[in-house]
Amino acid sequence: MRLTRGAVLLLATVLIVFLGLYVLPLATLVRESFKVYRSGRIGGLTGTFTLANYAELFTPAYAAYFLDTFRIGFIATALGLIASYPIAHFVARGRGRIRTLWIALLVAMLFVGTLVRAYSFALTFGPVGVLLPVSRFLGVSPNSLTLTELVVIAGLLHYVIPLMALTLVGTIHNVNPALEQVAQSLGAPRWKAFFTITVLLSGRGILSAFLLGYALTISSFVIPMVLGKGIVLFATNLIFNRFSELAHYPGGAAIAVVMLLLSFLIIYGIVRVVSRRLEPA
Amino acid sequence: MTRLLDTAFVALFGVVLVAAAVFLIVPIVMTVLMSFDGREYLGRFPPPVLSLRWYTAFFFDSYYMVALRNSAMVSTVAATMATVTGVTAAVLLDRYRFRGREALSAFFLSPLVVPTVVMGFSVLMFLSLLGLYDGFVRLIAGHIVITVPYTIRTTLASLVGIKRSLVEAALSLGADERRAFREITLPLAKTGIVAGAVLAFALSFEEVSVSLFLYDPPSTTLPVAILGAMRSQFNLTLASASVVMMGVTAVLVLVLDRVFGLDRIIGAGIYRS
Repeated sequence: MRLTRGAVLLLATVLIVFLGLYVLPLATLVRESFKVYRSGRIGGLTGTFTLANYAELFTPAYAAYFLDTFRIGFIATALGLIASYPIAHFVARGRGRIRTLWIALLVAMLFVGTLVRAYSFALTFGPVGVLLPVSRFLGVSPNSLTLTELVVIAGLLHYVIPLMALTLVGTIHNVNPALEQVAQSLGAPRWKAFFTITVLLSGRGILSAFLLGYALTISSFVIPMVLGKGIVLFATNLIFNRFSELAHYPGGAAIAVVMLLLSFLIIYGIVRVVSRRLEPA
Repeated sequence: MTRLLDTAFVALFGVVLVAAAVFLIVPIVMTVLMSFDGREYLGRFPPPVLSLRWYTAFFFDSYYMVALRNSAMVSTVAATMATVTGVTAAVLLDRYRFRGREALSAFFLSPLVVPTVVMGFSVLMFLSLLGLYDGFVRLIAGHIVITVPYTIRTTLASLVGIKRSLVEAALSLGADERRAFREITLPLAKTGIVAGAVLAFALSFEEVSVSLFLYDPPSTTLPVAILGAMRSQFNLTLASASVVMMGVTAVLVLVLDRVFGLDRIIGAGIYRS
């Protein structure tokens, strides 16, 4: 149906909501990131333009935070993929009660709030939980960088496993199970049939699940904030620190713009990966 | 040899599954158990005596109760407004064909891609520019933008399932467009709309990274209150608060399953067993 006048009016209303709550705020963010920062003042100087806030991100101190974010996010996502593929395979191919229980578990874990998740990990891996025995076993201080990183990775892993597993279920559904059976009846061992048929054919799905997990881990905030205890800081934590402690809005805005662009790039990558599958080979 | 490798492979598969299940469940179970700890202090796991003392501490602390009320208020208003906006957008996208429709649809869903911290910071700066400093207004604004994509998605999903012929039948029987929409489309899309509203409420209720930028002391929401307490004190009131939050989410997820079916949230492929 063509747009009627009433429909245009409604559309305009929705667009105004998106303009006021989404487009203009992001535009403000971009503008702020180019302003000159003066300490002690909330918000950058009006009418100024500088690239200094971005240049600063390339100094070793700041680049290190970004690299930490990318590295820790990568480890968590890679581990998440290793854990969630078998789960997804089981949910997609298995049957019976345990499969139903797995679906219930994944959905329940998907909906556990970030804060509750972070708190649970702080408790489990905290002084009253397994932290002391583990740190004694590893022979490191409970506040050591390595141990803190491990806890942050564990927290991120808990966050991405349900999401990645549920994403992969659909992918594995799309691989004809008969192919794996044919390979086996032709003499291929089970593991070989699994890796060369199912895993290979779900390659694009695996890539898009990985990218989704990566986009989510590198932009996570609460988990590194609570579990990182200030020892491990993600780029998102820097944005908040600049806002709440230094009132350095332009600097925070520059980091935020970079994170925003990265997220859009990664999601664009997913869309490319997924849509290529629909085109004829 | 092949037999052995296969057995090892199946065993490895099983080990990964069991380990993952344990990893997913243990922190949550530990939090629930610790919330019933009867000891006065924060002692080692497991609790030797059980009691409801931390629940009493939570429910009789005005700091948390005010925050709970604020959260209920913000989430209700934000979810309602997100649903109205989302349903309108979804209906327009579903019913009308116009140039740039695909792009518009992608645009409406794109807030999903923006990291929540970035969204919170942006909304804060823009509203300050407008001179809006009220915490409630800012929180509601921030929560609408992060939940609207979900209400659009669920509504669209239920609208796509409606056969166009049903609406055409109503039209040929003398109903006008508006009546056909009210009496055919809307009731049939009800599940998607309700699911979107519930999802929006659940997400808003547990949201913390956007709220952290937008709240002011009088409008502190429950997650912000919990996060604040986490930095200053470490007693088990927070465990009971976490369990209360999980309880709210669990109820909402059950409702979601009833009205919409969680199967529809989980993707399904061609060779579904």
